[in-house]
Amino acid sequence: MPIYESVMQEKPPIVLDIGTAYTKLGFAAEAYPRKIMPTEVVMTTTGIRKRLLGYETPEELYDQLVDFLQTIFFKHLLVSPKERKFVLVENVFGPTVLRETLARVLFVHFDVSSVLFVPVHLIALSTLAVPTALVVDVGYSETSVMPVFSGVQIMGAFKDQSYGGSAIHAEIKRQLVESGVKESLLTESVLEDIKVRTCFVTTMERAKARANGGEDQPTPAPDVDYIVSDNDAVIQVPGLLRESAYEIMFEASNERDSLPHLILRSILDCTLDVRRALVESVFLVGGGSMVQGLLARLRQELQHLLTEDPFYAERFHGELQFKFFNAVGKQNFTAWLGGALCGATDLIQTRSLVKETYLKSEHVPDWSNLCDNRPTGS
Amino acid sequence: MSFMQPSPVKYACSCGILNPINMLFFCRHCPKLRCGFCVTHEIESHFCSNCLENIPSTEARHKKNCCANCFDCPCCQHTLSARASTVPVVRKSEEAKEPKDGESKGEATPPVPASSKPSAVPTTKKMYYLSCLSCRWTTRDVGIPDQGVATGTWPDNECLYQARFNALVEYFQAVVLQEKQEKLEFMRRKAPKQHKFPSLTDRTGLTVSLIRRQIGWNDKAPKAKAVIAPAEATAEVEGLPENIFTEPLNLRNVTTITQRHSQPADQPTAVGSLYPQRRSLWIKRSLRCRQCEHNLIKPEYHPTSIKYRIQHFASYHVPEVVMVRCEQTLVAGKSNAILLKLTNPTIYDMTIRLLTASPPEDPQLSTEATRVAKEEPISSSPLLKAVGITLSRQNSTREVKRDVIDVSNAEIVPLESEFVLNQRDDSKEFDEDVQLSTEEPKFIVWRKGNKVLLRLQFTPAEELPGLADVVLGFYMQYTYVNTVNNAQEKREPTTHVLHSRVFITAGATEQKAN
Repeated sequence: MPIYESVMQEKPPIVLDIGTAYTKLGFAAEAYPRKIMPTEVVMTTTGIRKRLLGYETPEELYDQLVDFLQTIFFKHLLVSPKERKFVLVENVFGPTVLRETLARVLFVHFDVSSVLFVPVHLIALSTLAVPTALVVDVGYSETSVMPVFSGVQIMGAFKDQSYGGSAIHAEIKRQLVESGVKESLLTESVLEDIKVRTCFVTTMERAKARANGGEDQPTPAPDVDYIVSDNDAVIQVPGLLRESAYEIMFEASNERDSLPHLILRSILDCTLDVRRALVESVFLVGGGSMVQGLLARLRQELQHLLTEDPFYAERFHGELQFKFFNAVGKQNFTAWLGGALCGATDLIQTRSLVKETYLKSEHVPDWSNLCDNRPTGS
Repeated sequence: MSFMQPSPVKYACSCGILNPINMLFFCRHCPKLRCGFCVTHEIESHFCSNCLENIPSTEARHKKNCCANCFDCPCCQHTLSARASTVPVVRKSEEAKEPKDGESKGEATPPVPASSKPSAVPTTKKMYYLSCLSCRWTTRDVGIPDQGVATGTWPDNECLYQARFNALVEYFQAVVLQEKQEKLEFMRRKAPKQHKFPSLTDRTGLTVSLIRRQIGWNDKAPKAKAVIAPAEATAEVEGLPENIFTEPLNLRNVTTITQRHSQPADQPTAVGSLYPQRRSLWIKRSLRCRQCEHNLIKPEYHPTSIKYRIQHFASYHVPEVVMVRCEQTLVAGKSNAILLKLTNPTIYDMTIRLLTASPPEDPQLSTEATRVAKEEPISSSPLLKAVGITLSRQNSTREVKRDVIDVSNAEIVPLESEFVLNQRDDSKEFDEDVQLSTEEPKFIVWRKGNKVLLRLQFTPAEELPGLADVVLGFYMQYTYVNTVNNAQEKREPTTHVLHSRVFITAGATEQKAN
């Protein structure tokens, strides 16, 4: 394709996926991000690290975004953002102020030539080259479920719950504090490290046995001594914690809002004809889905609910078997990878929001905004 | 005041952000204060911070912004260093030749052992491996074979799914292109060309197919549909390993999240799969004023040099205000005085005036600036000049200016008159005698060379609580002699009357005794 090559040779578009915990950054048409870095800014006056998305006023967010993007461009990507094209992976239900501020920072402060916003679930699916799937994004602040059929997101069936990485951290912290570990030791990075290196999702049988109580409890996995190198302290991570930290995703409660319920309810919200297709194509993305044993457990739970739970048994018919996709690359940058694919095509020329258009109205078109979305067109 | 601590004296930049003077720049063409926030940053050159090699930008892009020779430790992100070890090598070819009393001997083998003992000569060879001097990680730990050359030959770990990714890229490019063509075709049929004699066949595309048939081609252009094998979902998912409930976990073998993220392509979970990472390059930055596009900072090209070719730091142009001390302890509502030292960094005398209200803008300056801007936005490259004029103009007018947040909470008694700050003269630094000028205003305490110590009276606001910072805010008006000419015809330096807003954190108020 000579057209693309000439375009690509000039300046490959920059692809950014700014997540709550980690930001994935790199160039279009590359198979993996250049860098995965924490979404944090260091305050120049105090030297404190602060989460980028923890802001109070839009002005504060603007300044933080400028600082953050400045680091990205001049420390990691080493390219000038001026006159460049961008692909931004965004949450479909993300706050408007973030989107608008991001656009303002890029167009006004960094003088970029165009920005293409792509929705995270849809674009993550593009890495599979299949048009239909139930995309489950296990992120840091939340877990969201979005069914996609024939390349169209079924907005009405979108579901999300607040258990993501941060909820797991809170759970680990609660259990450790209960077992007598000093709270000051348990910083966010220590908790994350414990989660990533020691915890896993246990099997359904063991979890059931735990939940029912009784005499014959399964012996928990071996304990681990975790060394906090900064403080010369040792935290004993109980085997029980290692197994049960992720149980908040599967907790059976009257709310019926655990992850399996979320997936099933989302499928039920879709029309009858697409349900089977969705059941047979579940796609887990996001850094939280990389934990050991999650897929196996999820499959077990889903199949169990499908047959045992009366509510679902009378709504789902026929022989149904949940099937899962394996991600290309690692799940924590699948959405970014989709953006990189998208940035490599001609869509970047045709679908982007260009600077001239933005400067005319200072507004980013949004699907939820009636001004942009009237059937007649504005 | 330790110099590592944040300065108590802050200047308001022209964009409205408060900064100490050492963080500010001064654009001589505008002429205004600029800070890191309101200038454009540009990449001057790429270099490796370890081997200090300058790398051209095209090469840097090709190498993915990584140095070809230097590696980072995958374990602790420190730089790896190459270590040499001597390995005995037995040459098999020579052993075979040995009974014939080898004629080819002595070409590559060291002469000493060869002459003394010709049978099974152990020759030594230098082999290199990479080692981290910080955490003792070596390439031997993970089974990477030693290399014969110290730099450059280390193999890259390849991305496992590169082929699949390339197929996906090609597929989507084809799909998008096809969609585009279909759309074009559709538009063509929908809006036929306005001919003198309207033809119905054009609209249906009949003529095309007729012509094609006459030539003998297929009726329709064969359309190569983009195909790719879609991913397949599977019900067989990877379960937990059996031994996870019984085997103790050795944390030394599990990578941390930082280690995983430093290898984004494969993100290994086991320490054994860590791989030396190519060191990422650094850049030298140049700064450019957004309004007039002149360079404020331009570093020297070579990585080993820390000098600048162009440097317009504010402390070379703007009088520096240093807080010396307050005369009394700060009490809310009680009048006080502060001693300030002002320094003139330029080689022209300055007339200074401290005001409490904003002085009017220099009319000559504003008109001149805009006129020049229209005349010629001077840009470094002719290419930028050709393309960028309209865009950059548009951009500069759109520059966000925020209001200076007035944080002052003390009443200032303005100085009754203006005073002159003498030029900087390095030779005068060594004069012993303090010149006594006869008609000094009352508020000047001391004067030497280009420095003046003055006394400014103020009253902290009544309603200040205990232990609150008292901030003084005033406008400092000064004359600035500009040696660069915006207009070409006149060559003599022009004098501007400029002002900048200064905020001084004088300290905390006394805790009220009650």
